[in-house]
Amino acid sequence: MTPLDGLRILDFTAHAAGPFCTHMLAQLGAECIKVETALRPDIFRRPHPVYGRMHAATFDQVSSVKRSIRLNLKHREGPPLALRLAALSDVVAESFRPGVLDRLGVGYAEMRTAREDIVMVSISASGQSGPDSHFSGYAPMFGAWGGLGYLTGYVGGPPTEIRHVMDHAVGMHAAVATLAALQRRRATGCGCHVDVSARDVAAAFAGDALLRADAGERPERRGNEHEGIAPHGVYPTAEDDRWITIVAGGDEAWAGLLEAMHRTDLAGDPRFDTPAARYRHREDLDREVGAWTCRRSGEESVALLQSHGVAAHVSWSVAELAADEHLRQRAAIVDVDVPGAGVRAAVGSPIRFSTTSEVGLRSGTPELGEAEEYVYGALLGLARRERERLVDDGVIH
Amino acid sequence: MQAATLPLSGIRVVERGHGVAAAYAGRLLGTLGADVLLIEPPGGSALRRLPPFFAERSDLGVMFAYLSAGKRSIVCDEAAGLDRLLSEADVLLDDALSTVDATSDLTRSHPDLVVVSVRPFGLTGPKAGWAASELNLIHAASEGFLMPNGLSAEMFPQAPPLKIHGHFAELQGGTAAALAALAALWARPAVGGQLADVSIQDAAVALAAFAVQRHGDGSVEHRSTRSFRYGGVVECADGYVELLTLEERQWAALVELMGRPGWATVARYDDPVERGLDGPAINARIREWAKQHDVRSLVERAQALGLPMAKYDAPREVLDSPHTLARGTTASVEVDGLGPLRIVTSPYLIDGQPLELRSGPPALDSARADPGPWPVSTVAA
Repeated sequence: MTPLDGLRILDFTAHAAGPFCTHMLAQLGAECIKVETALRPDIFRRPHPVYGRMHAATFDQVSSVKRSIRLNLKHREGPPLALRLAALSDVVAESFRPGVLDRLGVGYAEMRTAREDIVMVSISASGQSGPDSHFSGYAPMFGAWGGLGYLTGYVGGPPTEIRHVMDHAVGMHAAVATLAALQRRRATGCGCHVDVSARDVAAAFAGDALLRADAGERPERRGNEHEGIAPHGVYPTAEDDRWITIVAGGDEAWAGLLEAMHRTDLAGDPRFDTPAARYRHREDLDREVGAWTCRRSGEESVALLQSHGVAAHVSWSVAELAADEHLRQRAAIVDVDVPGAGVRAAVGSPIRFSTTSEVGLRSGTPELGEAEEYVYGALLGLARRERERLVDDGVIH
Repeated sequence: MQAATLPLSGIRVVERGHGVAAAYAGRLLGTLGADVLLIEPPGGSALRRLPPFFAERSDLGVMFAYLSAGKRSIVCDEAAGLDRLLSEADVLLDDALSTVDATSDLTRSHPDLVVVSVRPFGLTGPKAGWAASELNLIHAASEGFLMPNGLSAEMFPQAPPLKIHGHFAELQGGTAAALAALAALWARPAVGGQLADVSIQDAAVALAAFAVQRHGDGSVEHRSTRSFRYGGVVECADGYVELLTLEERQWAALVELMGRPGWATVARYDDPVERGLDGPAINARIREWAKQHDVRSLVERAQALGLPMAKYDAPREVLDSPHTLARGTTASVEVDGLGPLRIVTSPYLIDGQPLELRSGPPALDSARADPGPWPVSTVAA
């Protein structure tokens, strides 16, 4: 059993942020019907030369566990068909630019006529309202508008773009709001329109800095530092391009670090005798720690430090992440068998439930239109001859 | 939005945490309308003491102020008191209990309670007992190793890999914990309460899904080679913009914005693959051009042409942005000793209305004077 058994989502989202929202809900058990058109398939089904990739490579991780249908909303018979599907759904999700679905005749107002208590979730760069709502953007722009990009970067360097993790963070937030809206529907019988703004999610990740700014302060880029805590850094190891992270701010962790490094002589050093003093002299401290870490392997240092209660971890490469025994035991990383591509690692559900435990990747990525017989036939009740006509007329296309 | 119509109106959440993740989960649920009660030990939650502190109030952690706004606080360090509070709660958010057995005891004694544990590496697995903070976790989820790209990576090729500002991984762990709580609440009529085990590392790994997929497809990602072939962070006369052209029409808009220079209109560049191969040369031209222009007018003209471009806004600029003000996604709350401050409420609008915060961060034990729906009088002072 899964926690969201019985929920159905009609999913018009494309690219990364929106599909990740419905991917999360699908992994938790909702039935998700992904709607595309052959006229303009999801961009992630296609190659991405600007990324330097000449083939589609990132579709599976937001599209597995979904059912796929084609529907041409620009055909006059498309919108009425969409509304009939909405009438059978609990949630409609979309990530078009604000206003696009309204112009096609399948906005929230029309969806409500199809099903009065529908929950509609719209995911966009800047939200459905406000002077910038028409702006187009991708993950790095969300970070730029929200302040998170400005704050991320090396001291003295430029702001830094935040990539797909930003999209996916938006999607996870949207999934939270969607379930909250369903909770209200259960309590009151009322649906609603949830408007998720990606730039506001980025601003939420920078909420601490925004609060300081309103208190008259000017937070700036700090690299890997954390104000008030030292040691707090990414240190070299004896291996090439391999780094470890160490945080030992409190007195207990500091004592553990000195034990692990066999440097208890530093305990009496006035530069390092309080957390505040250590932070003031953090450059000296980083030199001492770095001189120790660069003489051994990352794994060796981390094991020793953790055994002394010091927060430490290797800065994992993707290959190490995919092979991580801890993540595999938790099914956060699983193997999937992709037809034509063989077995490879994939990311599973980030949540484990004690009772509704069957969450995760239960099926692979659908081919475009693969579930049409089920959706248009079994669910909607259209006879085969009518379905064939809709295909011939370019409605199911 | 009125409290009574908020999505989670009537849902009661007990938060017993010291970390950022549990606090953010409570904050998300609270802003959506749940009543959130923060259980603290006599000295207060460790989050109150997490630096940085406000310059004008050196005893108040900024993260505590941000994440605890809207909540009530009760000091409670005895089992019977906690038990009475949990008997009135729908959800417990916890980062204190470290084993499945300990958390399962709670679900046995409170069969309708949703217990969400959110810890750095979760409740199970070989690293369940490991110590970690944000820096360790973002780097344990691979995004740290993959940062930075673009201009930062070019300027600092020898620097160690970079974290994202603040508490990105932990806040993501909190988001996953809120999702876990709501999913379990949805299932509750069918199965009763249960335990949800959320690991901050897992939640941050979920965000890295694309990198994992590419690895499986045989593509090795590295921060030095992951940059966009052209565009990305671009310096202008008075600041930085982000520029991306993923679609052909967007490249055409960029060419238009630059005034159709000869180098950009050569036939070869009609092919996006050719442009990708020629990325560094194109980037050099874009950078040379952008330095002649002011950020604001450039972004305005770009967006009018449908070209994705954004200004890198400083925190003050985000607060003052007409867009932020128009959407009402920040609210003014009272922060003791600092007066009213604007604070991020929520990245959602519901039926066009922003959500609200009922108060600023709570004083320790604030629920004694303002209990809301909680039976605090039955908890030993």
